[in-house]
Amino acid sequence: MKKLTIILALLFLNVCFAIAQDSPYQKAMKKEIAKVIEADSLPELQQSANAFARISELNLKEWQPLYYNALAYTYQGLNATLTSDKKDEALDAADALVKKADALSPNNVEIVTLQGFVIMAKLSADPASRGQSLSGQVMQTFGRALSIDNKNPRALILMAQMEAGMAKFFGTGPEKACGLAKQSADIFVAQDEEALKAAILPTWGKSLAEQMVKNCK
Amino acid sequence: MKTYLISLLLLIASIASAQTTISGKVTDQKGEAIPGANVTLKGTYDGTSSDADGNFAFATDETGLQVVSIQALGFKTQEISITCSGQPVNLKTALAESINLLTAVTITAGAMEANDEKKSVVLKPIDIVTTSGAMGDITAALLTLPGTSTVGNDGRLFVRGGDASETAIYIDGLQVGNAFGSTASNVPTRTRFSPNLFKGSFFSTGGYSAEYGQALSSALALNTLDLPLRNQGDISVMSLGGGYSQTLVGKQNALNASGNYYNLAPYQSLVKQNFDWEKSPSSWDSEISLRQKWGNAEKGRSGFIKAYFHTEGNGMTIWQKVPGGSAGDGRGDRVQLNNRYSYGNISLKHSGNKGWFFYGGMAFSHNRDKFNINLDPIRQINQLVHTKAVAVKDFSPQFSLKNGLEWYVKSYSEALPNANLKRRYTDHQVNHFIEATYYFSNRLIMVGGLRTGHSSLANQTWVTPRFSVAYKLENQGQFSFAAGKFKQLPEEKIRVLQTDLRNTAATHYILNYFIVSNNRTFRAESFYKIYDNLVTYKGLPANPKNITQNGAGFARGIDFFYRDKKTIGGTDFWITYSFVDSKRRFANYETKVQPSFAPKHNGSVVAKYFVSALKSQLGTSWSWNSGYPFNNPNLADEMQSKTKVYSDLSLSWSYLPKPNVIVHVACSNVLGRSNVFGYRYASQPDETGTFQSLPISQGAKRFAFIGLFITLSKDKAANNLNNL
Repeated sequence: MKKLTIILALLFLNVCFAIAQDSPYQKAMKKEIAKVIEADSLPELQQSANAFARISELNLKEWQPLYYNALAYTYQGLNATLTSDKKDEALDAADALVKKADALSPNNVEIVTLQGFVIMAKLSADPASRGQSLSGQVMQTFGRALSIDNKNPRALILMAQMEAGMAKFFGTGPEKACGLAKQSADIFVAQDEEALKAAILPTWGKSLAEQMVKNCK
Repeated sequence: MKTYLISLLLLIASIASAQTTISGKVTDQKGEAIPGANVTLKGTYDGTSSDADGNFAFATDETGLQVVSIQALGFKTQEISITCSGQPVNLKTALAESINLLTAVTITAGAMEANDEKKSVVLKPIDIVTTSGAMGDITAALLTLPGTSTVGNDGRLFVRGGDASETAIYIDGLQVGNAFGSTASNVPTRTRFSPNLFKGSFFSTGGYSAEYGQALSSALALNTLDLPLRNQGDISVMSLGGGYSQTLVGKQNALNASGNYYNLAPYQSLVKQNFDWEKSPSSWDSEISLRQKWGNAEKGRSGFIKAYFHTEGNGMTIWQKVPGGSAGDGRGDRVQLNNRYSYGNISLKHSGNKGWFFYGGMAFSHNRDKFNINLDPIRQINQLVHTKAVAVKDFSPQFSLKNGLEWYVKSYSEALPNANLKRRYTDHQVNHFIEATYYFSNRLIMVGGLRTGHSSLANQTWVTPRFSVAYKLENQGQFSFAAGKFKQLPEEKIRVLQTDLRNTAATHYILNYFIVSNNRTFRAESFYKIYDNLVTYKGLPANPKNITQNGAGFARGIDFFYRDKKTIGGTDFWITYSFVDSKRRFANYETKVQPSFAPKHNGSVVAKYFVSALKSQLGTSWSWNSGYPFNNPNLADEMQSKTKVYSDLSLSWSYLPKPNVIVHVACSNVLGRSNVFGYRYASQPDETGTFQSLPISQGAKRFAFIGLFITLSKDKAANNLNNL
């Protein structure tokens, strides 16, 4: 009997092990996601972008590698040391990847939010001449993301940043923007980050929200 | 135990020795290092990125025949077969650049584009609506660009010594007949279409593609918006009238309907007018547009269909003094005009698989003018049907070929109902065009085209070649050259008198330098244009006799454009200067003369300044030319005289009190200058032998405008700045 228990226990353990065991895809993704979040230089971001490109080549049905690949290019497009032509080159690459991801997983709040983030980065590459044509598009895209899931912390914090810009321009006070930032920060605190990471879902944006909430005080 | 350990060690060693190290260097074809290239062993997770010097190294456990793929932004991907056997592999690769349409050289000779996406543009679409002095008229905004001349008593587009009929206007690739409102002579008109319909425009002042024909001087292609962003209602209340527009947006489709009414009577009763209006101009218009999208560009096939219909009516009654008329004649000639106009088009574009792209559509314009000149009624009806189908095939990223077929039906009739006289014609024109585009590299592009046409009425077939080439220098600047032959059948009022008239002709040569760098744009262009087979006749323009096509002439010159968004903080300005030297024998002139619509020196300055503290955009524009030539019959020779200098300074102020509300105030000719565009002379000399004259002047000293624009939508940030 004792033996049987041990065998059963061992079997169970084994099964658990098999379940918990990451596929090469998950392993590679987790490693690269950790890297892209830490990346703070252009070469590192390009390495990340390349790594995700390699992963998506092998996993043509997964939207996450495309998503992170686009994210790595979006961060490049926000790098102040680049000329606006180089920023556009990176953001055009990001845009193409987001569109591919969207084709694989339509109406995905994360992908729509990233789409808005890419347009926001394009706007900030040349605000004087693009502000008029792109700010409406950015707001509309984040609006669409929030209509899919109004509790997405990334959509909330990016929308909060746009609202803050608008409020500053029209002198209408930061209440709305700060409210969104607070909402976003609270969701970040409440969420189970480890579970999201295990499911290779996006978790970035927490520090953005914390920073903005601090500025609001 | 010992044996076990040893065998384990051996096993590890054998695994280690099975690893293959792949290293190397990635460069471009000039040997410059490419950092950040993605080096992958295909079908595996193994790979790395090249470093700042283009070097890379990684190890793999794979064995046997493998493929290494090397990719970098802006370069063609290269694949190399290797054998992994534990021996180090070293690869030296030089990647070939790929054609990047966003940053590659473009042909800028003759062309001025307003576009949000491309680089080599002189304007953004928003500039068309925010240019001070343009008062929301597309043409007026384009008149601040090089190569154009402001003709204040006409209002249409005059390009490089060409008359207004020499410009063809297209909406979504389909020609628009009577794009400008009907008006009495010497009363300026404006474009019938609102600038907020369009997402961009392509304005060519010469040397344009084989896709455009029947225009001697210029082509203006306007592209309508794709899918609007949101459901919204736009209300406008203006000193001249008001309107409402409603937009409904679905996932893949959209509907927009709008209506406007304008009446200048209240304004003209408050502000003194030089023109003698019996009934001030008034108009109504309504339009509807539908868009439907299909497919997903990421998954291959996708397309777009747009339908647009615009209809309007307008009227005016004006008294025009007759030069040399005796005091008893009082107000002069009474001109009453009633106009009805409709334009509709359906356009389609579809991207298929294997590099195929199709577009085309059908458009219909109908214009009816009822003039009553004193007691004589005149009826004119102009109709245009344009059908077009184009197929483009990209054979490679470098080479594409465009083939198009067009069919035009043009008809015109004019009648004097009292005299029971009527004349008319209908002309069928069939055109084919073919155009090949070849990128030798990102720096060098060549385009060659051939346009063939046949007119049933003129019974003439013609072939016109077009060619252009552009080369981009190291410093981002680029040179382009364009040349081509252009044909155009005479204006309908002449053609209806003699229907066997054949094509007039022009040949263009254009050399252009263009550079955009760091928010500054500079453009210089010189041109030479030869005119042939122009219509000449005897007698007065109203009653031409002995019509022949013996006219000829030329236009040559140089123009400059400089735009700067950087040097003065918060200010965006541009400066234009155009020199045109043009002479032609045409109409009833006996010799080659400088036409009245081709002033020699033309200039403009446009500036926009955003004041955040006032939530306002301030704008100003100044346009200037050296004077219009005119013919004084009291002097020897023809067109021997010139008016004084033309100058107009306009100011505008847009105030955004709330994100969805705009107040716009504008005033043209704030300095109150009395501009004269020419003189009208009596047809007969008076008893002293002198031809009496009257100046052709402005309708009023200044024109002031105030408007309130409100956008209603869920998105509070939306506004209708595009309506200004």
